[in-house]
Amino acid sequence: MNLYDIIFYLFAAITIVSAFIVVNAKNIVYAAFSLLFTFFGVSGLYVLLGADFIAIVQVMVYIGGILVLLLFGVMLTHKITSVDIKAGSVQTIPAVIIIGIFAALLIGLMYSTHWAVNPAEIPVTTTKSLGKTLVTEYVLIFELLGILLLVAMIGAATIARRDGDK
Amino acid sequence: MDFSSLYDSLALIKPEIIISVTLVLIVVLDLIYDKNKKLVPYLALLGLIVSGIYILSDIANEGFAFKMSATSNKFGLLALDSFGSYFKLLIILTSVLIVFFAKHSVEIENTGKRQGEFYTLLFGMILGMMFMVSASDLIMIYVSMELLSFSSYVLAGFIKLRDRNSEASLKYIIFGGVASGVMLFGISLIYGLTGTTNLYSINAALQSGNINLIVLGFSLLLIVAGIGYKISAVPFHFWTPDVYEGAPISITAFLSVASKAAGFAILIRFIKTAFVTNVDGSGNWLLVPVFDWKTLISVFAILTMTLGNFAALWQDNLKRMLAYSSIAHAGYLLLGVVVFSQIGIEAILIYFAIYMLMNLGSFYIVMLIADKTGSEDIHDYSGLGYVTPFLGVSFAVFLVSLTGLPPTAGFIGKLYLFIALIDAKMTTLAVIAVLNSVVSLYYYIRVLKHMFLTKPNGEVKEIKLSTANVVYVIVLLIPVLVLGIYFSPLVNFAESCLAFLSF
Amino acid sequence: MLTEFGKIFVFILLAGGFVAIALVAASLIRPKRPTKEKLKTYECGEDPVGSPWVRFNIRFYVVALIFIIFDVEVVMLFPWALVYKNFGVYGFIVGAIFLLVLFLGMAYEWRKGDLEWARPKIEPPKMDIKFKPEIAPRPVEEKTVSEVE
Repeated sequence: MNLYDIIFYLFAAITIVSAFIVVNAKNIVYAAFSLLFTFFGVSGLYVLLGADFIAIVQVMVYIGGILVLLLFGVMLTHKITSVDIKAGSVQTIPAVIIIGIFAALLIGLMYSTHWAVNPAEIPVTTTKSLGKTLVTEYVLIFELLGILLLVAMIGAATIARRDGDK
Repeated sequence: MDFSSLYDSLALIKPEIIISVTLVLIVVLDLIYDKNKKLVPYLALLGLIVSGIYILSDIANEGFAFKMSATSNKFGLLALDSFGSYFKLLIILTSVLIVFFAKHSVEIENTGKRQGEFYTLLFGMILGMMFMVSASDLIMIYVSMELLSFSSYVLAGFIKLRDRNSEASLKYIIFGGVASGVMLFGISLIYGLTGTTNLYSINAALQSGNINLIVLGFSLLLIVAGIGYKISAVPFHFWTPDVYEGAPISITAFLSVASKAAGFAILIRFIKTAFVTNVDGSGNWLLVPVFDWKTLISVFAILTMTLGNFAALWQDNLKRMLAYSSIAHAGYLLLGVVVFSQIGIEAILIYFAIYMLMNLGSFYIVMLIADKTGSEDIHDYSGLGYVTPFLGVSFAVFLVSLTGLPPTAGFIGKLYLFIALIDAKMTTLAVIAVLNSVVSLYYYIRVLKHMFLTKPNGEVKEIKLSTANVVYVIVLLIPVLVLGIYFSPLVNFAESCLAFLSF
Repeated sequence: MLTEFGKIFVFILLAGGFVAIALVAASLIRPKRPTKEKLKTYECGEDPVGSPWVRFNIRFYVVALIFIIFDVEVVMLFPWALVYKNFGVYGFIVGAIFLLVLFLGMAYEWRKGDLEWARPKIEPPKMDIKFKPEIAPRPVEEKTVSEVE
C-alpha cells in the first residue's frame, strides 16, 4: 500500500461518510454542509484519476456555486421561522435492499469487465489538450454549450423573477 | 488546421445555424422592444420557414459533419441523411403550427412581456431536437438532449401563477434530472467498454467482439431509460400525465409531438447505427447479436400501449386523457421499431406525420374550449357539439382519426404499422395492438358522447371563433381527411426518406 | 500517478485536513468546563434576539443563479484561453462566438433588471396576521423592502 493508495482511501472515506451524513442528517442545513465534504472528496478522487481540470471544476462550480444556491434555497423557504427544517427518511428497509442489489451489481460488473483502457501516460496537465479538442473536434459542442447556457440563464431568470402575469 | 472539412460541415448544418441565429435575434428583439412583443412570433416564423426551405432543398445532401480528426477520418458528430431531414421537417412544421397555436392561446397572451422568453425557449427546444435527430455521437446526443430538456422544463412551468403549472415543471425537472443522469451513466459505461463515443466506431467495436455482454446490456438499459423518458414509454412515463395536464396547452401539444419525434429519431438512429451490421435485400436489419433488442422493445411497446389506453379510460380531464392517449400512441410507434426493417421505419415516418396533424388538432380544440369556458373537464363539454357544430364535427374527426378508423388519416398510419408487423410475422403483437385500438375507441367516443348526446346542466354558451381559429382548424382538418383517401404522396415521400448514412 | 497540478491540489487538500485534525485533537485533549456564560452565542453578555434563520430575499437567489451560469461559462472558456493562440484567427472566432452569446445573456439580465438591486416595482409584503412577534415590531412605514423580506 503506497502513499497514493492511502490518499485514495482517505478521500473515498471522506466522500462516503459525508454522503451518508447528507442522507441521514435531520437538519437540512447540516445536510447541505456535509454535501460540501462529499464534493470535496470527489474532487480529490478526480485528481487521483489524473483529471485535474475536472477537479477544479468540481471545486469551482459545485462547492462555489451549487452549494451556495442550495443554502439560499433553504433560506428562501417560506415558513422558515415557524417550521423546523427537518428531513426525515421513510421506507428505509426497501431502500437498503434495492441499493444493496444495485451496489452488488455494480461491483460485480466492475470486476468482471474487460475495460477498454487507454495505456497512455497521465499528461502533465489535461487542460491544454481539453482546450485543443474543444476548439477542433468538438467545436460544435463548444458553441452549442454557449447557447445551452444562454437558454438556461434566460429560463432560470424567467422562473425566478417576480413579475407576474396579467 | 484543415478548414475545408469545417466549411463542409457548416454547409451541411445550414438549417440548424439558421435556427440558432433566429434564437439570438429573438433575444435581441426582445431586448430592444421591451413593451411590444408583436414582432417576435413573426421573426420566429421567418426563421422556421427559411430553415425549412433549406432542409427541403438540401434533402439529398448526405455526409458527416464535424469529423473526428484524431480518432478516425470517417465519422463525425453529426450524420446528415434523409431520415434525419424527414424528422427535421416534421419538427419545423410542428413548430410553425405551434407558433400560431401560441399566438391564439389566451394563457400565452396573458404572459405579456414574457412572450419574448417564451419564443426564445421554444427555439432552444427546436435547436436541441434538430441536433438530436442527426446526432451520431453519444456526447452530441447528450448535449442536444439537455438543450431540449432545459428549455422544456422552463416552458412546462411558464404560467407562474397557476399552482398546477409549477407542479408540472417541478415533476418534469426532477424525473428528467434522474433520467439524464442515468443515461449519462450508461454512456460512460459504453465508453469504458468500447473506448469511443461515436456510434459508428461503437458498431465496429461491437462487431469485433470481446465485449462483456452483461455490462453492455446494463448500460444499454440505462440509455434506453433516458430515451424512453423523452418518448414517455412505460415504465418511464410517470411524468407525462401531470406535466401534460399542468403545462400550457401549446407546450403540451409541442411536447407530445415534436419532443416525441426527436426521441424516436434518436432511438432508431442509435439502434440502426450502433447495432446493425447489414440490411438485407428485403429491408430487414441484421443486428449484432449482443443484445436482445427485439424482446426489450416488444415488452416496452406492449406495456406502453396497454397502460396508456387503459389509464385513459378513467380520465375526466381532457388534457390528461390526451396525455395518456399520447403514451398509447408511443406504444404503437414502438411497434414500428420492433420489426427492425425498412418497412417498419417507413410506417413510423408515415404515422408521425399523421399523428402530428391529428394530435395538434385535438389539443387546439381543447385549448379553444378551455380558453372560452375555463374548463378542460369532460362534463363541461356537454352539449357543446350543438352550440358550435364546427368545433364538434372537427373534434369528432380528429378523435376518430386518433382511434384509427377509416376514412381518416389515422387509419392509414395504423394500417402501415400493422402491415409491417404482419410482414415480419409478429401476429401476436399485431393482435394486441388491434385490441388496444378497440379499447381506445371507448374513451375517444366518450368525449363525442358528451358533446352530442349528454344533456347539459344549464345553458351552454356558444363558443365564438375568430377567422384565424377556423382557418387553423381547417388547415389541420383537411390533410387528416384527405390523407385518409389519397395517401400515396406521403407514403412515397416517406419511402424516399429512408436512407441512413452508413458505411 | 498525478498531474503536476494534481500534486499541488492534493497538498492543498491535505493542508486543510491537517487543520481539521489539529482542531479535533485539540478538542479531545483540552479541559472542558462549560458555564452558562461560556455557552452563550456572544460572550459579551448580549443575548441574541429571535432566530438566526432569516428569510432571504428572492433577489439573492436570482443573483446566485446568474453567478452559477457565468461560473460554468468561465469554466468552459478556461481551456479555450490556453490554446486559442495556436489556432490563429480561427481559434479567436470560436471563442468570440461563445463570448458573444455569453454577452447576450449578460445584456438580457441587465435590460430585464435582474442586476439592479433597488427595483422600483416591488409590492410591499403583507404581514402574516397569525404571526405574533415576541418583540414589538418597528413601525412598518420605516421598513424598506429588503429588510422585511
